[in-house]
Amino acid sequence: MSNIAGKAYAMNVITPMRWYKVWLNRLIFWAAQKVPNVLNGLLTLSLIHYARWVIIPRDKFPRLDPSQPKEDLEYSYMMFFSNFNGSWAQYVDSFTFAIPSGLDLFWKMNVRYPKSVPLTPFHDYIQHNQIDTSHYYNAYPMAASNDVKSAKTVKKALIDFNAASSNKTPEEFLEDYNKLLNQLQHDFGEMRPTPIVSLAAQAVKERYMESHAGTR
Amino acid sequence: MGNKSGNATALTVLSPIVNGIVDGQSFADITRERCLRIPIHEKSPLAKVPNTYLARLFILDNVFYESLPGSDSVFNFSEITSILSDSARKKALPRKDQLKSKYLVFSSNFHGDLDEYLTGMWEKWSFDDHGQQRDVRYIWEHCVSFEGVKDCAGFISYIKRCQLEATLFFNGSTDDSLQEQLKALYLKQEFSKFAAEHQGKSAADLQRAFKTFIERVQPENLSQPSWNPGQSTL
Repeated sequence: MSNIAGKAYAMNVITPMRWYKVWLNRLIFWAAQKVPNVLNGLLTLSLIHYARWVIIPRDKFPRLDPSQPKEDLEYSYMMFFSNFNGSWAQYVDSFTFAIPSGLDLFWKMNVRYPKSVPLTPFHDYIQHNQIDTSHYYNAYPMAASNDVKSAKTVKKALIDFNAASSNKTPEEFLEDYNKLLNQLQHDFGEMRPTPIVSLAAQAVKERYMESHAGTR
Repeated sequence: MGNKSGNATALTVLSPIVNGIVDGQSFADITRERCLRIPIHEKSPLAKVPNTYLARLFILDNVFYESLPGSDSVFNFSEITSILSDSARKKALPRKDQLKSKYLVFSSNFHGDLDEYLTGMWEKWSFDDHGQQRDVRYIWEHCVSFEGVKDCAGFISYIKRCQLEATLFFNGSTDDSLQEQLKALYLKQEFSKFAAEHQGKSAADLQRAFKTFIERVQPENLSQPSWNPGQSTL
């Protein structure tokens, strides 16, 4: 498994819901996008790169050929995919502490969902329904989601500053430069591979070395 | 609802794997092993697929049985009625589902249009597997009906048949092109170093150094210098 790629962790969770509640859950997701508070709550979890929920009605699992057996399911399913920074526990706990009601709203229709508070049953629920990733790719393993966002701010500020101030007198340049640094205090920071990045990469590399070229 | 958040796109693909065994190994296990052996970071084939932010592959073997305690309105009601009889009590158990196929799951977050992205997957996906070059067909080879995929148009159409719509796609990052994101990260890194290294310099020295810095980092040149997709070391 490779749930980690650089500073990002890939979470996959699949949970059942009763087929007749699918429309209601879809309505909740639709409404969540109309009520700013819910998504704003997610935005406060700035450790997320991208996340998504996918509801699969029980008769909508892809069937590509009559030779493929038709699924015969009691429940419909909801899949959750997330790309976040930090550890599993930090992430799951931050959900509980930042947006417990929003979280309960999204999973409310799911069979045996224990609610996000208290923590331990919620941890058990996620662990029970989580699937490990086989290959995980991250275009910027050394960067957290906050780095990507702050880098955008830095790039724009740098280009604007260069256009406006680079040809001023040295004294005026210095004054503007100091203002720029003040303005970017929260966005600066060098990025490096962290130990967990190296350990995860090492594990994948070893597995690759152990496998054989002739394997199917 | 949907797969778009600004210019960022969510792609969710469930491709059924053929039920069958060859030399004692199921097609699902062969596919899983192939996914596990894909090299990572800058050597991943996804580093070559333009505009991929984050993507993953895994096998959905089955769904889970909800055997844990939980709060659930329907079962809570059953628990009240279960005082009266054992059969009512047993009805409080969740049903057990079994998938009849195993699925190769591909989930990607990328910038731009789906057709363009899938064209990139078909044309650019390649990696070195102990000296052998593998293209995208190697991963999907044992999926149902994939033998009919002969060209890029066929691949696009196949993936679309396996695609699922996101109910909610949340973008906690930016929706800029990957080149734009990587250039910005490069500039953040370099400018942070510059600021730290040039503290206390005179105005004239600082201005001179800044001009040299700008000539070196070329902030508006997206192609170079920059970070490479999947770059894991400095």
